[in-house]
Amino acid sequence: MINVKGLRKSFKKIEVLRGIDEEIRRGEKVVIVGPSGSGKSTFLRCLNLLETPSAGEIWFEGVDIANLRKGLDQHRQKMGMVFQHFNLFPHLTVEENITLAPITLGKATKPDACATAKRLLERIGLTDKADKYPGTLSGGQKQRVAIVRALAMEPIVMLFDEPTSALDPEMVGEVLDLIGDLANEGMTMVMVTHEMGFAKKVGNRVLFMDEGLIVEQGRPDAFFGSPRSPRLQDFLAKVL
Amino acid sequence: MLSIPYTIENLIASVSDTIFRVFIVQDRYQLWLTGLQNTLVIAFFALWIGLILGFLLAVLRVVHDATPRPPVWLRVLNRLAKIYISIIRGVPMVVQLMIFNFIILAASRNGVLIGILAFGFNSSAYVAEIFRAGILSVDKGQMEAGRSLGLSYAQTMRKIIMPQAIKNSIPTLGNEFITVLKETSIAGQVAIMDITRAGAVIRGLTYNPSPLIFVALIYLVMVLFLEFVVGRIERRLRRSDQR
Repeated sequence: MINVKGLRKSFKKIEVLRGIDEEIRRGEKVVIVGPSGSGKSTFLRCLNLLETPSAGEIWFEGVDIANLRKGLDQHRQKMGMVFQHFNLFPHLTVEENITLAPITLGKATKPDACATAKRLLERIGLTDKADKYPGTLSGGQKQRVAIVRALAMEPIVMLFDEPTSALDPEMVGEVLDLIGDLANEGMTMVMVTHEMGFAKKVGNRVLFMDEGLIVEQGRPDAFFGSPRSPRLQDFLAKVL
Repeated sequence: MLSIPYTIENLIASVSDTIFRVFIVQDRYQLWLTGLQNTLVIAFFALWIGLILGFLLAVLRVVHDATPRPPVWLRVLNRLAKIYISIIRGVPMVVQLMIFNFIILAASRNGVLIGILAFGFNSSAYVAEIFRAGILSVDKGQMEAGRSLGLSYAQTMRKIIMPQAIKNSIPTLGNEFITVLKETSIAGQVAIMDITRAGAVIRGLTYNPSPLIFVALIYLVMVLFLEFVVGRIERRLRRSDQR
């Protein structure tokens, strides 16, 4: 579904991604872990071109979106993204947050988009918050709204950029549960996280990034059970 | 009159005498009304010119800075906008007003129009910087969230960034409105009969300094009204801040 070839990214003189080749297949749940500064967030943000790669190709649904002249927005509609800091639109109600993109992009009529929003809010148990502004929600509620806002565009892949890192500990569970449900429904997802337990439980494949490269990868049991590279062994020793 | 020692009685007498001479004699209130009208007309239209032109300048500057490799026409416009803003902010308002009156619009006899344009263009430079700061103050995650949903840059700007930027700018804009309103008091420098000049004329006719106090009070009332209006708009836009 997403095929990355020779991806490089530099900020000024610093090379953050130093040549990444990776394929993400339909239905896979890929978890990316690694020390801070390893380039994992940059890699994720390159997948939907929030960061423009310095070199390389990103093939999505048969199109190299890294080297498009135009039409990128259309491809982005099919890739949902969830951010560490939620990034809900504070001037819009919860329902408007969810319906804005589908209505603006002509994907749904207003009544249809509102019906979808109601259904999505019901799913996360926040129907009563539809007309509230994001400022009134807890962190966990915000992130769950952010997730269904992305789902309202009916993406075929979801990108999660440390979705629980900005949450109070007692709210991590509700967000991970929702992401886990999505995974069980067969959603393709790529997730950068520090939640090793979640990576073990939900991931099909775990990637370890360090200094701009994918150093090691594998199925969760092998990845956590018998890491081969010394750097991954060192990393796991610190975080587990 | 100032030589008479003040007691309560002759204070009252002198106040009513002053009001009579300043407003009533020879229908002097008409001069006051003309001055008030001109001040209000100049300030009102100058505010709108400043607001609209300033907004366009701000969008131009922000779009230019957000474009990775801006095309030539955008670079030229951006450079012109920067020069325009620098010149306007770098030249005293009185001098600008005189340049409008004696050079740019020397052929025009319409003082109010000259005032509107001079104050309007002047305000636009400040409004441009106010809006630009307002746009830049919106968290960059908002743009990313909009773009990640598939919205274009323009759509994200219009639906997500601008509403927040405008809300953030309202208090500073209110300040700018008040500044413009009060700054129109120099219009008399080019023979525009605004409220300040009306007061000065009557001061000359009555040999009495009290019109200054009336002028001050009139400005104060107008500013209080502006503060009230801006405050209402601000409260309305702050609905979403409820917690």
